[in-house]
Amino acid sequence: MAELIIKIENIYKRFGRVQALRGVSLDVKKGEVVVIVGPSGSGKSTLLRCINRLEQYESGKIAVDGIPLDSTKNINAVRMEVGMVFQSFNLFAHLTALENLTIAQRVVRRRKKEEAEKTAIALLAKVGIPEKANVRPGQLSGGQQQRVAIARALAMNPKIMLFDEPTSALDPEMIKEVLDVMLALAKEGMTMVVVSHEMGFTRAAANRVIFMDEGQILEQAPPDKLFSNPSHERTKQFLSKILSH
Amino acid sequence: MEAGQKPNPTEEALEHVPGAERSARIDAWWWLLILVIGAAILLITTMPDPYLNILQFVSDGLGVTVLVTAVSFILVLIIGMIGGLGRLAKNRIIYFISTLYVEIVRGIPLLVQLIWWYFAFPVVIQQLGILLKIQALADFQANPIAMAILGLVFCYGAYMSEIYRAGIQSIPKGQMEAARSLGMSYFQAMRHIILPQAIRVVLPPMGNEFIALLKDSSLVSVVAVADMTRRGREFMSTHFNPIEVWTLVALLYLVLTLFSARMVTWIEKKSRIER
Repeated sequence: MAELIIKIENIYKRFGRVQALRGVSLDVKKGEVVVIVGPSGSGKSTLLRCINRLEQYESGKIAVDGIPLDSTKNINAVRMEVGMVFQSFNLFAHLTALENLTIAQRVVRRRKKEEAEKTAIALLAKVGIPEKANVRPGQLSGGQQQRVAIARALAMNPKIMLFDEPTSALDPEMIKEVLDVMLALAKEGMTMVVVSHEMGFTRAAANRVIFMDEGQILEQAPPDKLFSNPSHERTKQFLSKILSH
Repeated sequence: MEAGQKPNPTEEALEHVPGAERSARIDAWWWLLILVIGAAILLITTMPDPYLNILQFVSDGLGVTVLVTAVSFILVLIIGMIGGLGRLAKNRIIYFISTLYVEIVRGIPLLVQLIWWYFAFPVVIQQLGILLKIQALADFQANPIAMAILGLVFCYGAYMSEIYRAGIQSIPKGQMEAARSLGMSYFQAMRHIILPQAIRVVLPPMGNEFIALLKDSSLVSVVAVADMTRRGREFMSTHFNPIEVWTLVALLYLVLTLFSARMVTWIEKKSRIER
């Protein structure tokens, strides 16, 4: 298939005494949608955060689009290409939705104000809330905030999007509006790494599901195969809990 | 959630409570201001003999007090930001130096610091000049106002560092992470994302510092700065009327602090609406 865009080799990461990642290796191809599942504390969010170096790791190598994450210069270069969406949205509270989308374009990409705003308005329309451009995050619902956050990441024209439990902090009726945006992105061919337990999304969009436990990747397979016929006992146990409802 | 809607709900809720403290504060402030200015005017018009004379005599000192306070405070804002960022630095040397600075300053009375800067510091410089054979340093003469401002800035800069530090720390970690993950450098994220939010949090304590600085500026009168307090003392030593002098000087300080307090509330209110 297509070329490799993320190459993770043998990553080890510790928080104090807790070994969060024990030798994780993972390749992601361009255009692929990878969903990481696993019990809490299994290291899935940590792995995701290592990809744009929000977490440092003790040993191992990560390269994104051929750029190794080894110097400050490279890390900033990689971060420009990798969009990140957080569980708690993390919209800039003092800026309007529009400004949330333009600030990094202007500061990091050095785009002109008009150009940045044009991109921002188009993206707000794309995530379905063009009318909220001049509203501050505090006045938006959780689902709207998360959609603005996705648009904010997209405004930088990233090659890869990382989603760290994007729907976990949302009320049930808002989950769909966020997943719809994510599905549309996946259909457009965006490379996505998603930590999530949204099984509907995973079935519809994922090329591959990764099951992590205790800082390791236990197994990986296309969603149908992993869900219907997991090879590890641990995976079976975990899936029986999240698939049963 | 945490990042999105922090201070708004409670503050807005407060505003909708009828007769909440804010309007009550405005009333108290107006009454006090009217009382203080009224008292001053009454004294000056009914008894111009000491009071108008005192006012004329200390008025240039009032200018010095305002000047020293204003210049010091601007410098304090800058030093405090540097110190505050230093206290949050991952670099151990920067952290150590800024912590040392804050701890030293906090442990020494301001009066002693001011005296040190005025009497001891110039001698240190002169000795250094002699030792290093640099004539310019050996001839160093302390300008009282400059040394007083240096002393005030050095001390209040440390307090302000702690205010900045607390303000920056009060901003949820996710804000920095989001900014960094968009490719911003640490300083870009500080400048565009963290500090604009932190400033709003620290406005009230900053206002308090300003008023404290205004009052503490009276201490510079002991190091040969002709501020309002020193001018008052000079007048008293020739006219021997302590009650009149110090009552008027106290009223003048009160007018200054009252207006400052009002200004602080106004700025707070303005920055809140902006949200």
